[in-house]
Amino acid sequence: MLSRTAEGLFWMGRYIERMENVARLLDAGRRLDNLPRDTPEAHSEWSSIIVASGATSTFPSPLDEATAQTVADHLIRDIENPSSILSCIEAARTNAKAVRNAITAEVWEAINDTRAQLRVHLDQEHDRKNLVDFLDWVRMRGGLALGKIESTMLRDDSSQFTKLGKWFERADATARLLDVKYHVLLPEATDVGGGLDYLQWVQILRAANSAVAFRHLYSRVVDPQGVVDLLVLNDVSPRSLVTALTEIRISLERLASPLAVQQELVRQAVVAENTLRATENHDIFNQGLHTWLTEFIVATNAMAQQTSSAFGFGGDTLSFSQNETQ
Amino acid sequence: MNTVNLIIGLGVAMPNEIFNEMKNGAANRPEYQVVVDWLERNGIEALQSRRDEAEALFRRIGITFAVYGEGGDPDRLIPFDMIPRIFNAHEWEKIESGSIQRARALNCFIADVYGSQDIVKAGIVPKAMVAENPAWLARMNGFRPPRDVWAHIVGVDLVRTGPDEFFVLEDNCRIPSGVSYVLQNREVMSRMFPDLFRDGRIRPVDGYSDILAEAMKSVAPPNCAGAPTMAILTPGQFNSAYFEHSFLADMMGIELVEGPDLLVENQKVYMRTTHGFEQVHVIYRRIDDDFLDPKAFRKDSMIGVAGLMDAMMAGNVTLVNMPGTGVADDKGVYIFVPEMIRFYLGEEPIIPNVQTFRCDQPDDFGYVMDNLAELVVKEVQGSGGYGMLIGPTSTKAEIAEFAEKLKAAPSNYIAQPTLSLSAAPVLTEEGLVPRHVDLRPFVVSGASTRMVPSGLSRVALREGSLVVNSSQGGGVKDTWVLSKGAN
Repeated sequence: MLSRTAEGLFWMGRYIERMENVARLLDAGRRLDNLPRDTPEAHSEWSSIIVASGATSTFPSPLDEATAQTVADHLIRDIENPSSILSCIEAARTNAKAVRNAITAEVWEAINDTRAQLRVHLDQEHDRKNLVDFLDWVRMRGGLALGKIESTMLRDDSSQFTKLGKWFERADATARLLDVKYHVLLPEATDVGGGLDYLQWVQILRAANSAVAFRHLYSRVVDPQGVVDLLVLNDVSPRSLVTALTEIRISLERLASPLAVQQELVRQAVVAENTLRATENHDIFNQGLHTWLTEFIVATNAMAQQTSSAFGFGGDTLSFSQNETQ
Repeated sequence: MNTVNLIIGLGVAMPNEIFNEMKNGAANRPEYQVVVDWLERNGIEALQSRRDEAEALFRRIGITFAVYGEGGDPDRLIPFDMIPRIFNAHEWEKIESGSIQRARALNCFIADVYGSQDIVKAGIVPKAMVAENPAWLARMNGFRPPRDVWAHIVGVDLVRTGPDEFFVLEDNCRIPSGVSYVLQNREVMSRMFPDLFRDGRIRPVDGYSDILAEAMKSVAPPNCAGAPTMAILTPGQFNSAYFEHSFLADMMGIELVEGPDLLVENQKVYMRTTHGFEQVHVIYRRIDDDFLDPKAFRKDSMIGVAGLMDAMMAGNVTLVNMPGTGVADDKGVYIFVPEMIRFYLGEEPIIPNVQTFRCDQPDDFGYVMDNLAELVVKEVQGSGGYGMLIGPTSTKAEIAEFAEKLKAAPSNYIAQPTLSLSAAPVLTEEGLVPRHVDLRPFVVSGASTRMVPSGLSRVALREGSLVVNSSQGGGVKDTWVLSKGAN
């Protein structure tokens, strides 16, 4: 497959997944905003959503002045924000169009129709009620596109590259969603473990579509250790970090040719997965959840970078002399 | 000449002089009887609703051409008319043999021009027509491509004026486009009117991608030992014909590459794949000569491949079409094509040229100046309908202004009489009305020279308009060729 095609598929997968995750983040913000507070001025949930979505540099006003409206605007319709839902859909479609031959008509139509319908959605203002409807719509459309990829594309390199993009993005997004909790301030340090702390964790779970799963799996009251277990270490969760790293490793094993750079990449993916599997819940909290997540995000992004250069796309493409197998 | 857009710069005539392809006097021609029957059974409203369905289908499949810089959605649909244009077997025989004859002669001419120039020595084509032709590429001089084929794909633009009267309006030897519409129009028609296709009387067009792939394989470069790896080189998704490039690559099962996907190393061309570098042997390039190789031509080309020409000269890659084929398709050379057919093939032209006046000839020039209001005047080097005068539809002021340009540089222009172009029925809000049409069949040359039985029929959608240009309200039709004895 052409490296450029692989690149297009990879980013198509990433942007579809990202659009859904941005919707999830916004939903988390809305849920946190609804929680009862003693001090009404502490609106850190909205700035935390901007931080978690990686949009601090494009957010047009000072972070501590972030409101429901400005954050929703920036994350939904601001084309200056490369991760806004609008930007994600445009980017997914541009990539899909560039690799039109490598995807099925149904995948193309799912993405192309989403973009056409988005225009209608963006013509209306988002008040609290229809914001929820809109976010639901985004998640349904994301699910539709991913489902079409799963159900109509050949299970060859083209779907592997798409999935690879999806899983790299999901690993990043789940880590960022968990990190929201770090940035949402509690009024007092002593509130840790208190009622509001508990409610915030529940909202994080809800945004990850995992609140019900938590009850099924753990049969106990939501606590930070349980949330981290479910979203980081549990193989059963479709959004956990260990699931993402496992899927990344499997895709890379299928895609790798005997080229030395690609074999090396597979080795690193195996190491990353095994390291995470050997990690215990208390290791993470001992290190500090925020620090641990930050390191995870950096390491995963480095692996994504390495993936693109090993397959001949991205910044450092393969030079002719590297055309060697091992 | 390289675009889908073309103006039929010919012919304004009284409606009663226009040959209506559907009618024979008051009666319907037998070829069109199936369409008439369908309309009688289902009514015009059914046709209109099928048109809406077809449009939705085109949009969904993504059959669009891109127009940038005009605002709005850049992805436009070419208006598709639901009434097919139909040729019987006898008519097609003439179109096919005439187009193939023309493509063969043009290929002989290009080979000669970059070889011993016998036709110049014989005094048939003036030396200046070759030596001073801006499309003539000195670096191709003495080169011999595989099988001596230069223009592997030729689009011959034809117009019709009567039951058995066809004329060649223009040849397209560079990178003619539009064939994807031929194939997609048929696909959509067969979905909209399955009953009309049931008895197999309409000759299929699906063979095009196989014919093209076979031709490309047959011109693999000398240094390619096994089965050649082939690719289509596109300027990218912002090119107006990108859909076609991508469609053809898909149909042939070959890669669609952009300049940055390719790299030349040791005079061999490689594409960057996820499994490393893979050598490419035959490239159907949809990039103009000028932009093909920044090392050889325009240095600022971002879409070309540095070193591509060296690789071709070294016999490691074949370009389809060859660079320099534009020397055969300007309007000055056009005049000599009938002579080329006689000179190279020893045959009489099957489809004639439109009578053409050369403004660099004093007699012709005088006639042209006296009859500007009746004539169509075109720039010899112009393409896509720019810089031309359509006498009968121009104001006195426009004619006077054009006369000045003509006087200043007569050799830049040719002129042609207005022909009474045929019309085909088109579906409008008012029902079926006749509108002018042209036809571009595609001739593919490799080991043999072949065509699929169809072509791109472009139709002017406005009343009286001669413009089939898609950006000016022109549309396309499915073109049917009936099998023998099918009328």
